[in-house]
Amino acid sequence: MPYTAPRPSPQQHSRVLSGGGAKAASHGASCAAVPAEVARHHEHAARAGQCCSAVVQAIAAPVGAVWSVVRRFDRPQAYKHFIRSCRLVGGGDVAVGSVREVRVVSGLPATSSRERLEILDDERRVLSFRVVGGEHRLANYRSVTTVHEAGAGAGTGTVVVESYVVDVPHGNTADETRVFVDTIVRCNLQSLARTAERLA
Amino acid sequence: MAEICCEAAAAAAGSDQKGECAGSRAARRRRMEIRRLRVVAEEASAKRRRLEADEEDAVGGRAPRYGVTSVCGRRRDMEDAVTARPEFINGHHFFGVFDGHGCSHVATSCGERMHQIVAEEATAAAGSSVSDETARWRGVMEKSYARMDAEAVVSRETAGPAPTCRCEMQLPKCDHVGSTAVVAVVGPRHLVVANCGDSRAVLSSGGATIPLSADHKPDRPDELERIHAAGGRVIFWDGARVFGMLAMSRAIGDSYLKPFVISDPEVLVVERKDGEDEFLILASDGLWDVVSNEVACKVVRTCLRNRAPRGGRERSSPTSNLSPRQSSASGGSSSSGDEEAGGPSGDGAGSESDGESAEDRACAEAAILLTKLALARQSADNVSVVVINLRRRPRS
Repeated sequence: MPYTAPRPSPQQHSRVLSGGGAKAASHGASCAAVPAEVARHHEHAARAGQCCSAVVQAIAAPVGAVWSVVRRFDRPQAYKHFIRSCRLVGGGDVAVGSVREVRVVSGLPATSSRERLEILDDERRVLSFRVVGGEHRLANYRSVTTVHEAGAGAGTGTVVVESYVVDVPHGNTADETRVFVDTIVRCNLQSLARTAERLA
Repeated sequence: MAEICCEAAAAAAGSDQKGECAGSRAARRRRMEIRRLRVVAEEASAKRRRLEADEEDAVGGRAPRYGVTSVCGRRRDMEDAVTARPEFINGHHFFGVFDGHGCSHVATSCGERMHQIVAEEATAAAGSSVSDETARWRGVMEKSYARMDAEAVVSRETAGPAPTCRCEMQLPKCDHVGSTAVVAVVGPRHLVVANCGDSRAVLSSGGATIPLSADHKPDRPDELERIHAAGGRVIFWDGARVFGMLAMSRAIGDSYLKPFVISDPEVLVVERKDGEDEFLILASDGLWDVVSNEVACKVVRTCLRNRAPRGGRERSSPTSNLSPRQSSASGGSSSSGDEEAGGPSGDGAGSESDGESAEDRACAEAAILLTKLALARQSADNVSVVVINLRRRPRS
């Protein structure tokens, strides 16, 4: 079966709505619990030939426990099961600009990924990284993960939002790309939930 | 440089004169009992005769000769497992190839447990009223694969991580790890092959190459239809993959992709044809991706033919110029923990022993040669091969 490149998709904007937002996001994901000051991190300007999406996960664990796992840029394999190992390039401490080399487990259509830390905000619990290399088909991937208390009152649980933007690879559609990446992100957040719930 | 592990089956212990005589008398007594029972209860005697016949063959018969290789190849990690269990139940012999992905522990569990589970299910089914051999073995295999799949989910909790397992210790569940499973049970009258995933079983019979399994690829039309009907997606992402992730549509484990990736085996039961059946090959896709069924059978046929016992002067063997890093040996043990083979060395008359030893080596050499061929053709995966000689050995 021949796979021809689809016509470039129209420019789209992704927005994770803050409380009271009236307009539905194009990717269909929304979360009223995301505070306004971090919702902007989930606004991705998707160019032609790109797609974006977001995945939301509720976790029955304190927000601090969840964030302590998410923020480990040097140890993503603690909850991302498709990662076999991770090494900081050049050693040293984790800081914005750090680059990690990630090796992927067997059986998946990727071998490695080189990723740069873009945002690490402990106050607002925002982590973002950009993929800058590796053996995979996800060019120009950028991801943002935010961690929030769910609903009113402390200790009632946590909501994690991960959104991303990425090029649509040659031979695939934007929909296929979203299905593939959403599957990975959803699995990661589900194992994050299990990990954090056991820590708590 | 690939590390090659190899071992050949030991000949079954030869029976001495006294044992042979006793066995012969016991066989006659059983035949007389069977004849008497025929008039008493047709159904009961039919069932008992089937079991007695199996036992009778077991008394006089011997485990088939086989060879096994399992190499890491160009992959960084070894995630395959291979099992050979001659006489795992009376008169029946178990062989399995399990090609793991995501990590090694599901394939390792299959290698350690699948034959035990099949033995339990086959023993339980032997007492059932199902008279159709095909239906009985199909039920045995379907139950066994379901049990193995259920065990795969909890295998790390009970056994703890294997030495080669890289999953984090504290995680209770690894739903992203799985394995193929192609299993063959060689019985006195039937070959049973059960398959789940993209490893493969190929029979050579009467000079013809006969696949006994069909690879479970996500774009196989019936698999594609099943996945879509379940609400799943098959995306072409470096090949057809379920949700763009997994390149096979059935596997043991991989809970995160259920119910789209299932562990139901496809089971084939074929009658053995003496004088026609030559050998059976089980192997992972590290072999089949780079070697066709026909080429593999041609290679094995050449190895086995050149090692025919008492065939006069031996011609040059296709493996004569090869120097495997680990020599094959009758009854030898493999350095790979994933390979399991048993059986003491056979003892018997000198000439017979020489013949048996040569034939045992032929299967091992065939497996080695197939493995080397796969590596030479740049296979990018672990390579695991089992070669089973199906020609019956004469009773001693």
